[in-house]
Parts: sequence; structure tokens; C-alpha cells
Amino acid sequence: MVRPKLLLPFVIIGVLLVVWGLALNASSTSAAPLGVDRVSAPPAQQTEQYCLSCHSDPNLKTTLPSGEDLSLYISPEHLKSSVHSPAGIECEACHTDIKTYPHPAIDYQTKRELSRSYYQACQKCHSANYDKAQDSMHAQAAAGGNLNAAICTDCHGAHDVQSPNQPRAKISQTCSRCHQDIVDKYKDSVHGEALIQSDNPDVPVCTDCHGVHDIADPRTAQFRTQTPEMCAGCHADPERMSKYGLSTDVYSLYETSWHGVDISVYKANWPTIWHESAVCTDCHGIHDILDTNNPNSSVNPANLLATCQKCHQDAGPNWTSAWTGHNQIDAQRTPFLYAIDRFYIQFAQVVLWLCIIYVVLQIIHAIVDRVRRNLK
Amino acid sequence: MSGETSARAVNSAAPATRTVQVVRFFARFTREQRWEHWLLFGSFTVLFLTGIVQKYRNEPWSQNILSTPERLELVQNIHHIAAIVLTLEVIYHLARGIYLLARRKMPHAIFPDWQDVKDAGRMSKYLLFLTKKTPKYGKYNFEQKLTYWFLFFSIGLMVITGFIIWFPIQVTSVLPGSIVPAAKLTHSTEAIVAGVFVLIWHLFHVVFDRLNLSMFTGRLNEDDMRKYHAAEFERLTGEPADTPDQGGQA
Repeated sequence: MVRPKLLLPFVIIGVLLVVWGLALNASSTSAAPLGVDRVSAPPAQQTEQYCLSCHSDPNLKTTLPSGEDLSLYISPEHLKSSVHSPAGIECEACHTDIKTYPHPAIDYQTKRELSRSYYQACQKCHSANYDKAQDSMHAQAAAGGNLNAAICTDCHGAHDVQSPNQPRAKISQTCSRCHQDIVDKYKDSVHGEALIQSDNPDVPVCTDCHGVHDIADPRTAQFRTQTPEMCAGCHADPERMSKYGLSTDVYSLYETSWHGVDISVYKANWPTIWHESAVCTDCHGIHDILDTNNPNSSVNPANLLATCQKCHQDAGPNWTSAWTGHNQIDAQRTPFLYAIDRFYIQFAQVVLWLCIIYVVLQIIHAIVDRVRRNLK
Repeated sequence: MSGETSARAVNSAAPATRTVQVVRFFARFTREQRWEHWLLFGSFTVLFLTGIVQKYRNEPWSQNILSTPERLELVQNIHHIAAIVLTLEVIYHLARGIYLLARRKMPHAIFPDWQDVKDAGRMSKYLLFLTKKTPKYGKYNFEQKLTYWFLFFSIGLMVITGFIIWFPIQVTSVLPGSIVPAAKLTHSTEAIVAGVFVLIWHLFHVVFDRLNLSMFTGRLNEDDMRKYHAAEFERLTGEPADTPDQGGQA
């Protein structure tokens, strides 16, 4: 007779093993790719091998009613190196309408129509970013009839989805596929040069200023009045600016300047009304911003007058010295202004206190006089 | 103090013999000077109010007033109109001064002299209860001269700097550019200093210390002249300013 007591440790170990196994399973399913809006555990699919048995043929193609050739070839390498396939997210996750062979008939007229239909599958997992993109400038352009306006897959790829910002320069490359002229300007700017030549982590790429999925129209009054604050995001950050010896006063001084006060008033009260008062980009440029010491910079002393004259047409050569150039009032740089500032700090106090003291003494004296008269 | 004056008037009118109480008045400001004061009063007030709204247009209270871009423009236009009124007044005032100087008719009473320094010292002693007598003032006491000259230079500075920031392009076609930010800083700061000075110093002296409406009526009565401008009273009448019942109080 086997003694039941001897079996007990085995039973306990067995139960523990089962629990551990379940826990492992649970943790591995929850280890979904970062940033994914978790809907449910990805389906454990076995479709990839099955699909590739046909679609790994480079010659596989069909002709759409528009006359376009649609290649049906899927590179197994691309698929394997994408973020989805290794995570167990296989063909059927996106191609929800294709469940077996033979496939249902394709009723898309053009390749673009097909793309614009299939990208909606992204919403299943990435609903937050998908929704943002629906409010973007791109979605507006599409609603306005431009079907070439970017959809998820245009930027991220379809079967070969990769991390979009490794390296960061990849972002500007992505945008350049449609916005080549702008990226060409950006490449030569102080920001673009640092990004492309040295993968500088501090300079802005397209998405830092324009947003990522909810890219807004940059030509609106709102975007304009928000520009100074946007630039200040980096240019008022002491940690970032100290690396390059740049002043962080630029924004706070701009805010108190004629231009800056005007813009902040419009931003607070009338953000949708266009206002001409200069924002950062009016003087410094937009995608083509250069180091102010660069002789080609629009705000280099050599070019400053021409830049001012864009708005102040009749300004003469003395005009530029009226601009204190985002600098604090300073004894060396602006001695005249410094002297006036120092004078008024003292003078205002002296006038105020002398007035107050004298008047208060008179009031006290008048009260004392009245009390004395009444006592007599 | 005015209460005391009226009580005395009643007492002297009390005797049964009906003596006629003759109240003597002394001319103090001409009609033109009173008109100038009205222009100054009006334009200064409008400029100050429309100015601080613009100076503080980043503040919520100001933004409640400047609720539309049109309002902002309106406030700026009102400021500019009042500025023109004030400028014309300043030009008139200076031209009249030059005319009087050229004719050697400029009254010297408004110019500060050594006596004002002594009066100021004496008045300070009086206010600190170190002496019982106030100084015997001439036509204008040192407080009034200080008011005039402080505002003379303040308003001069405000007019000059105001035009610099109103027409910066024209100004910098002649003068160096650094004058523009300097003018802006000065205009913005001097406005507050002058405003504080008028509100505390001037308003107290002409309203609360004693209600002195001579700038509107053009004249001052005998009692006020005896009390507050004793030296001038004595100069004009040849009588002693001190009356027996006034004692040391002046």
C-alpha cells in the first residue's frame, strides 16, 4: 500500500507547476508591443506560413479594374523584420475579410482605394492614434478630395512596419516622401543639419513642431499665435540651451516686446483672428532657420534690415538698432537703456515715498490740530 | 479750517449794527490759465486711463476692457486724439512762456528760488511738531511750484517719448535706433510716476487738505489768502496777514 503521505509533495509540486505555467502564459500574452492599445490578446495565428505559401512568389499579381497591376508578393524578410509578425500578429489580424482560399473577389477599383480601405484595420489595435489621425490635416485633405493624403500605412508601411523614429532622421525622410521641397529646406537649416549629420537628439524633427498623428494645418491663425510658445518648448529650456550657449531669455523677452504682447493678447482673446505682429518664424524663418551668426541668416545683422522691411517697409538703416535683440537690458550692450532703467527704479520709489510720507504727515498734523481745538 | 472761517464770519455779522461784510477776493488765475488747466485735466485723465489699459494689456482686467481687436484700436485712437490735444496745449503754453519772456513780462512767482527750500524745511519742521508756525507763502507755495514743475517736465517727457513711439520709422530716419526702446521704457514708466504723483500729491493738496477750487474759479478769498499765501497778501494789500483771533495758527 503506497502511503498517501508520500504522494502529497508531488501533488503540491504539480499544482505549483500548473499555476506557474498559467502565470507565465498570462504574462507573455500581456507582453504586447509597447504603445499598443490593448484590445485583447493577439490571436494565436498560424496564418502566416499558410499565406506565404502563395504570396512569397514575386510574380504573383493581379490587375485592378483601373488597369493598375497589383503585386500580391509579400517579402517574407520584410514580414519577419516588422514589429507585428514577431509579436504573433499575423496576416488575418489586418486582412480580416480573407479567411480562406479561394479568396473573396476584390472589388477595389484602384490600388489607392485598396490602401484606404485596409488601413482602417489599424484602428482595431491603435484606436487612439487612429482617431487623432482622423482629425489631422491629412484627413481633412482627404475629405476635401485629395485621396493621396497620407494614411497610416503611407508613413508606417504596411507589411514592413518598423519603429518610426529609429533613428530620428527617419521621421524627416518619411515626411519627405510627399513634402520633399520642405525637407530639402529643413536639411540645410541649423536644426536639420544637426539632425542629419550628427543625429542630434535636441533638434526638432518635423513631428516635434507639427505634431505626430494629429498634425494640424500650420497656416491658421491659431498655429501662428502658438508658434512662440512652441519654439519656447526648447528655447526656454535651460538644460537644452546651455549645451549650445543659447540664451533662454528669448521667449520671456519676446513676450514683453511689442510683437510678443500683441500676439499673446490675440492668442488669449482672439486665437482665430489673424494678426500680423511678428512671431519667431517671421524673422528667423520656418524650415530654413539658420544660426544667427550665419551670414545667410535672415536675422544676421547684415540681413536684419531687409527682414524688418518685410513688415516695416519704410524703415531706414538706424531702425535695426531700435531692436534690442532678445537681450536683457544690459550696461555694456545697451548703456542708454540701462541708465534709464536704473534711474527709474530709484526715481519712482523716491517720488512715491516722498509723496506718501509728506501727505501722511499732513494728515496726522490736521488730525492733531482738530483734536487740540476740540479740547480747548 | 473752513469751519473756523465761517464761524468767524457769523460772529462778526452778529452785532445789531448792520455792517456789511465785504469779502475781498484776489485774482489768482486768468481765464486762459483756467482753460489750459481744463485741457490738461481732460487730456491727462484720458491719456492715463487709455494708457494703463494698453500698458497692462496682458492682464485679465485689461483684456476684459479690450474685448475685441476693434476696442483695442479704439482705445489707441482715443489715446492719440488726447495726445494731440495735450500737445497743442503744451505748444500754446510754451509759446506763451516765450512771448512773455521776450516781452520781459514773465511773472517770476512760479519760478523756484532759495525761499522754497527754506519753506520746505520750515514746513517739514511744522509737520513734525518742531515749530508751531507755517511758513508765510508767496503767490505759490513750494508744494504748488513742485506740482507745476514736476508735471511740466513729466508731461514734456511724455509728449516727446510718445511721439517717438508713435512715429518710430520717421524718428529713426534721423536719430539712432536705440532711442526707440528708451522712449518706450520712459513713456511707460514716467506715466506711472506722473500718475501716482497727481493722484497722491496733487489731488490730496487741492481736494482733501483743503478744497482749493481757485483753478476753476480763478480767485481766492481773503481768509484763504491770509492763511495760505500770507506773504502775497501782505505784498498786495500792505496789511499784516495775521489777524488777532488766528493766533499762531496759520
